[in-house]
Amino acid sequence: MWGAARLTEVAIEARGLEKWFGPFPAVRGLDFTVLSGQFITIFGPNGAGKSTLLRMLAGAVRPTGGEVVVVGEKIGAGEHAWRRRIGVLSHQTFLYGHLTAEENLHFYGKLYGVSQRGERVREMLERVGLWGRRSDRVNGFSRGMQQRLALARTLLHDPEVVLLDEPYTGLDPHAATMLRGVLEQLRDGERTVVMVTHNLSQGLELADRVVVQAAGRWISDEDRSEIEVGEFEKVYTDRVGGAI
Amino acid sequence: MTFVRQVLTVASKDLVLELRSRERLVSMLTFALLIAVVFSFALDPTVRSRDIAGAMIWITIFFAGMLGLGRSFGLEREQDTLTGVLLAPIDRGAFYLGKVTANLVLLLIVDIVLVPVYGLFFQIDLWGQIGGLAVVVGLASAGFVALGTLFSAMAAHSRLGESLLPILLLPLLIPVVFFSARSTQLLITGRPISDVAGSIRVLLAFDLIFLIVCTMVFESVVEE
Repeated sequence: MWGAARLTEVAIEARGLEKWFGPFPAVRGLDFTVLSGQFITIFGPNGAGKSTLLRMLAGAVRPTGGEVVVVGEKIGAGEHAWRRRIGVLSHQTFLYGHLTAEENLHFYGKLYGVSQRGERVREMLERVGLWGRRSDRVNGFSRGMQQRLALARTLLHDPEVVLLDEPYTGLDPHAATMLRGVLEQLRDGERTVVMVTHNLSQGLELADRVVVQAAGRWISDEDRSEIEVGEFEKVYTDRVGGAI
Repeated sequence: MTFVRQVLTVASKDLVLELRSRERLVSMLTFALLIAVVFSFALDPTVRSRDIAGAMIWITIFFAGMLGLGRSFGLEREQDTLTGVLLAPIDRGAFYLGKVTANLVLLLIVDIVLVPVYGLFFQIDLWGQIGGLAVVVGLASAGFVALGTLFSAMAAHSRLGESLLPILLLPLLIPVVFFSARSTQLLITGRPISDVAGSIRVLLAFDLIFLIVCTMVFESVVEE
């Protein structure tokens, strides 16, 4: 339930959010709020506009219409200080293949102005199990290792809002368990998490709010406690099938 | 982090990447040296090479430079690191100037290798004019890189990619080509630096205009 005391402040507010790519709508007039500390999972079929929504929330893509406010600051307005409050894990890792794991994190640490950077980099590399590979170049890493390092990059500056786009992509079972542990820590650490995924079981595991998006619209938005895991797949398929 | 430190962070990252991959510098140097060799064979022996060496040097430098600039943002497309950087609270102008700094270092290395090679091939004594040539080469390279870095970012966002770069860049580079080739020509024919002071001032003015305008518009170029 969202009844915890921490879930009172608004972390993300979207008003009339729209994105069109030429004549094609990706996101259509979304209005929603995400409370601080909430873990929200967004499901949806391919082309539903989930990744576009996440990119707009991150400030990576300008909305065609509407606006986003993250932790009280309007995205895209004036200075870029609000970017320090957001962490993004995308399909792409945002990592430089010719830099080592440690150099990548130091580079991003400098951009985000992370204090005591050396200690923080070590902490994050240990957290994702890559401290032993810190001096190896990223282009020698497996996809799963790169994804773990990308997670470390995402959380390096301790963002208040974490946006995850298919975070389990390329992870082996061990790494997926590690990621689950990190996500649990985020939830328990009162971070606001928005996760986009196709994987119903992984998406439902940690969420306390579940949204289904299709054709750029939210077709359902429910408290996790109202969802029966066993029936959700059928309900999801019916809803998505009816919306597209 | 201060603006200057942001610039240096981006520049040093690009230079470390280049040091490890050697993608750009090797192709720029190889291309520039090959062009110099081709010119040395293609020229009519009755033509006084020092009369046209200035133009040849700058044509070679700018085309070799375009090879390197094309990859400047191309390397940010792998794993979409450009988006990764733009998601950070970095001043977009600092990001642009960091790229310019790294690109300028690479182009100056090409200049330092190429200009003496032309001196050797065309039997021109450059030592007597080394100070003046260094000023002209530095200013012209800075102007080229300032404009080229912006257009490299535009080309990286385009479906045409790196092939768009020369189409965008060359027309606007004509003044820089003209004044750099002209002043280089005068210097290698033995004229004193005071004779090219006007051209140097024009090159400096172009550098400042390009740097200021490109820094201001860079954000609108890279933001989706």
